[in-house]
Amino acid sequence: MSFFELAPENWARRGGEAGRRLRVLTEHHPFVCHGLSLSLGGPSPLDRDLLRAIRAFMDEHGIGLYTEHLSWCDDGARLYDLLPLPFTEEAVRWTAARIAQAQEELGLRIGIENASRYLTPPGGEMSEAEFIRAVVEAADCLLHLDVNNVYVNCRNFGLDAERYLAELPLERVCYVHVAGHHVQTDGLLIDTHGAAVVEPVWTLLAQVYARTGPQPTCLERDAEFPGLAALATEVTRIAAIQTRFDAASPALERAA
Amino acid sequence: MIATATLADFQRCFGRHLRDGRAALPSGIDRQRAAVYRELLGNNVRSFVDACFPVARACLGERRWSALCRGFFREWPGRSPWFRDIPREFVEYLTQACRRPLPPWLAELAGYEWAELAVETHAAPLATRTPPCDVLESRLGLDPTMRRLACAWPVHRIGPDWRPRKPQATGLLVYRGIAGRAAFAEAGPATFALLDLLDTASQTGRSALQHLAERLGRPADPALLASGADTLRALADLGIVIEDPS
Repeated sequence: MSFFELAPENWARRGGEAGRRLRVLTEHHPFVCHGLSLSLGGPSPLDRDLLRAIRAFMDEHGIGLYTEHLSWCDDGARLYDLLPLPFTEEAVRWTAARIAQAQEELGLRIGIENASRYLTPPGGEMSEAEFIRAVVEAADCLLHLDVNNVYVNCRNFGLDAERYLAELPLERVCYVHVAGHHVQTDGLLIDTHGAAVVEPVWTLLAQVYARTGPQPTCLERDAEFPGLAALATEVTRIAAIQTRFDAASPALERAA
Repeated sequence: MIATATLADFQRCFGRHLRDGRAALPSGIDRQRAAVYRELLGNNVRSFVDACFPVARACLGERRWSALCRGFFREWPGRSPWFRDIPREFVEYLTQACRRPLPPWLAELAGYEWAELAVETHAAPLATRTPPCDVLESRLGLDPTMRRLACAWPVHRIGPDWRPRKPQATGLLVYRGIAGRAAFAEAGPATFALLDLLDTASQTGRSALQHLAERLGRPADPALLASGADTLRALADLGIVIEDPS
């Protein structure tokens, strides 16, 4: 286990025994911040107080990377979950400007994660992958690539995962997620992080590394925890795939 | 179906529908898939509320509790980005906005259950043990993580097996006990008044007790000072009263 990930919304400004234990962990292991509440595509003003808290939290614990979702989670008030943006020029402009604002506030480039979704908002003017590329290029931010989300969305909307990957700005990948998902009886895939990573996602992960070289990768597990041994097997498998692409020169150079 | 012209229009319209399935959908949104999101969002908020209020939930019963949680998500505009604040917002909803017929003590009970979370997750680090001080002559203050609950109902005794029939003024202190776990103590009106005095202005124990005597219309005689000092020492032992660091 080379690093851990946490949601700053659960840990920043938290004292007491939990805060003490976290301090012990961050003194011994590297951590990554993966946010949930910034609502980068949302209609409310960007939450500067939250950004200040995240900045202070990262400084306090020596954390260098912060990523957030390409989604929205408020409608003026908090909805506390991630919702899909329409693939429109308006949403590109709005969200990219807010990402740029967040980067300025934090004084660092952030990674934006392709989010899972179960419906397509109306008015789309481009493909999902084109939308993601347009946002990260306009914001000049990094891409946090969730490989399971690529698979979930492609399955849910009948897209071709390899083509989808090819359209993404993989030269900007700074961080990768893999996870398992739930399959509903009607066939809809729900991104629960509550199951083992499926074979097609492992295959996609290797395809990503072939393009980007090995990248820091987090196995997400939020529910239905198996024993630690089962999780360790999956983490070892990530490391094994990374090793395969370690020596190979990546087909794409990282963005400067 | 409502046609939405802008991104923000779409988000407000869809948000309304996610909070309340009876509200119209934005045009172009599949009703079944919207229902998937309604369930995900409702369950997510519910998981934070359930975790904080086991006693209120047990008292109300599953059917009424579920309806109450749905009402909270539908009617209360949560503002905080911190997930641990969802239960605080739930208490605010109960005290300020909820129009459902509920037991008269439910909001106070919820406030009591929330105090446990508030005390444990407060931003202050765990206090380090300090040597006992002279409580009469030292300047004293209150531990910032401690919460005083002046309740109209005996909330600490309420449970599914016992509900009060009439109010009974109850003072409770919730504070960080062993390993930062929330601990509870009952406190009478005089102790509450003493803590109020220390909260208003940092002062020596002697000064606080003299002010308290004044309030009670009693002389600050040696007997009052002695019993007051005992109370202050007990509160200091629990870490509720601390030597003022400033």
